[in-house]
Amino acid sequence: MVREDENLPHHHHEAMRQRIAPYGFIAPAMVLLIAFGVLPIAVALLVSFTDMNLAGLGNWSRIQFIGVENYVKLFADAAFWQSLGNTAFFAVLGVPSVIILSLVIALALNRSQNRFFRMLRSFYFVPAITAIVAVALVWGYLYNTQFGLFNYLLSLVGLPPVPWLSDPVVVKFSVAAVAIWRGLGLNVIIFLAALQGVPKEYLEAASIDGAGSIRRTWSIVIPLLRFAIFFVTITTVIAWLQFFDEPFVLTKGGPLGASTSIALFLYQKGFSSSQFGYASAGSVVLFAIIALVTLIQLRARRADVDY
Amino acid sequence: MKRTRLAAVSAVAIAGITLAGCSADGGDDPAAADSLTVWVMGDSSEHFEQLIAPFEDESGIDVETVAIPWDSIDQKFTTAVASGNGPDILQIGISKLRTFADSGALLSLDDSSLADYPNLASSNFIDGVAGDATAIGGEVVSIPWVSDTRVLFTRTDILAENGIDAPPTTWDELRADAKTLAGRGDGQYGYYIPQWDSALPVVMTWDQGGDIVNGDGFIDFDTPEFEKAVDLYTGLYADGSVPTNSDFDQTQGFISGVAPMLVSGPYLAAAISSAAPELDGKWNVSVLPEAADNTSLLAGSNLGVWGATKNQDGALKLLDFVSDPANQVTWFGLDGQLPTAKAALADEALTADPLVAVYSEQLANSRILPLVPNWDGETGKALLDALNAIVLTGADRDQTLQGLIDATSSTSVN
Repeated sequence: MVREDENLPHHHHEAMRQRIAPYGFIAPAMVLLIAFGVLPIAVALLVSFTDMNLAGLGNWSRIQFIGVENYVKLFADAAFWQSLGNTAFFAVLGVPSVIILSLVIALALNRSQNRFFRMLRSFYFVPAITAIVAVALVWGYLYNTQFGLFNYLLSLVGLPPVPWLSDPVVVKFSVAAVAIWRGLGLNVIIFLAALQGVPKEYLEAASIDGAGSIRRTWSIVIPLLRFAIFFVTITTVIAWLQFFDEPFVLTKGGPLGASTSIALFLYQKGFSSSQFGYASAGSVVLFAIIALVTLIQLRARRADVDY
Repeated sequence: MKRTRLAAVSAVAIAGITLAGCSADGGDDPAAADSLTVWVMGDSSEHFEQLIAPFEDESGIDVETVAIPWDSIDQKFTTAVASGNGPDILQIGISKLRTFADSGALLSLDDSSLADYPNLASSNFIDGVAGDATAIGGEVVSIPWVSDTRVLFTRTDILAENGIDAPPTTWDELRADAKTLAGRGDGQYGYYIPQWDSALPVVMTWDQGGDIVNGDGFIDFDTPEFEKAVDLYTGLYADGSVPTNSDFDQTQGFISGVAPMLVSGPYLAAAISSAAPELDGKWNVSVLPEAADNTSLLAGSNLGVWGATKNQDGALKLLDFVSDPANQVTWFGLDGQLPTAKAALADEALTADPLVAVYSEQLANSRILPLVPNWDGETGKALLDALNAIVLTGADRDQTLQGLIDATSSTSVN
């Protein structure tokens, strides 16, 4: 080896270039990933061991390392556990709802390619691209206890008004419903795209064998959509663990923290109270939870058969 | 999609690192001496430009006014502190004053630095916000700008229909009247308590003759006066006199008559006038009812100067200009916000308006909330959470209040 290299400096140069080339290609992506992914997490980890607040931000000499004090405080904070519990509730309610509903809608939309169905597709996508503030405004009016449409409709059939955003239990469903409604559009599009990849021959063959529509969907289409379902599941789980927009604009996390998600809790501590150290500790915990959940999903997937 | 949220908090820290590096040498604007940047809250920036147009002409200083939405002031300020790149002058809501002052970003405005600016003397302003009243740790870092208070709004027509001749003058009367009005039927209430208004229970405590800060400067909810205030607050709920839904719209509630009495600020009067001009003459404002006193909340905004400003003289000149009573009267005309200069409040342009006469009277007996490090996010929130837990979820009163006392008793105004 060594002798060869000495004798063939030109080849050595070439080999080196070939070894470096792949790194060159992934460098831009890596730089972005490190700058906007790894570095902030590292900084958050560092900050989580300090008492950094607004005063510390202005003058770094006022920042002190306080060890794990933030974490000790965090795990003793009832509001943190409440927001963690709320997030778990939101995820358990939201993730299956979004996946099942968007799959059902995509299957239904895929039955025809005519103009009406094409129009319906854009119809389902509208919530995903509508500004959240406009969404909040409209839903806020729909949900309003005194003047809202929903309670008006209930009153028409003689039912009492429902405190959609005021009751600590009902508010969780109200807020989640808006997020589910908003989340459908994108996932419907992903499923529709995946449905284009289901070979017609399989379906025709099954038809000839006498399989009905439901049977074909259940035994052929859905198994072939496995990868799309897996992808949607992972992104949806992450999105729901970082649930923020809807409670932020609809209820500000209220009443009494009943709709405060963990991300909203971090926002309140970090941006409204300027407790950056404390909020960073919370964000590290959230990061660990998301990493763990995603890892478990990836493991579960590895055991899976690929078609 | 929402992946960015994960790093949201740490992004601030990143901004701190990267921007602080630039700020040390950056920002050397050659035009600094003849320009000023002013942060004006809400949607008043156009009016502010009108107000200061004469100042620009006279001084030759180019003033750039930047509108800052109320919702984003925390982020804007945080970013400015982190980068060291702030405006020259900024409007500071009194509830944010302590946080902003603690950041060390504001210029200290002691008597010697203000000596050349007669309009900035603390004796010119209403006592509740002047000089030491809004000093943080003994240091004055802001000048009073606009004031705001809370008064009692009543639908006199609805009160009269129910045999109530005049707005209640005591809190006990208010509670009784509210109960009467709530008896009008299902979905009708007598009074409205905003579930986000942390000032109301404090005002009620003041009016019982108490305070929520003890002699040593610590928050103290363990007083008989606060107990009485809690009786009043929870009593209004127990009577069924106030709506329990958190999304109740106070303007709609007042206009529709669902909640014909409430304590609110001058902005509600403006909202009613524009949304329901036909109600003119059917509603009224009056000073707060009393128990031992009828002290109200003094809110509003001060103006502060950025410590690292390149144009301190210009900034103080502008503060002096906007503090001139004549200009404060102009500001009231342009934007409808009440002045803080005593002479401006006594001006005929204001006293001629019966609503403003009530506001002025109330301003004379009003106080600011204690300047604790984070009223909105901590002390005020703890207070509201405790009271709302009692009235909305039926939490045990003694236990909840003890929790509030324990959580807040180490908070100091010093």
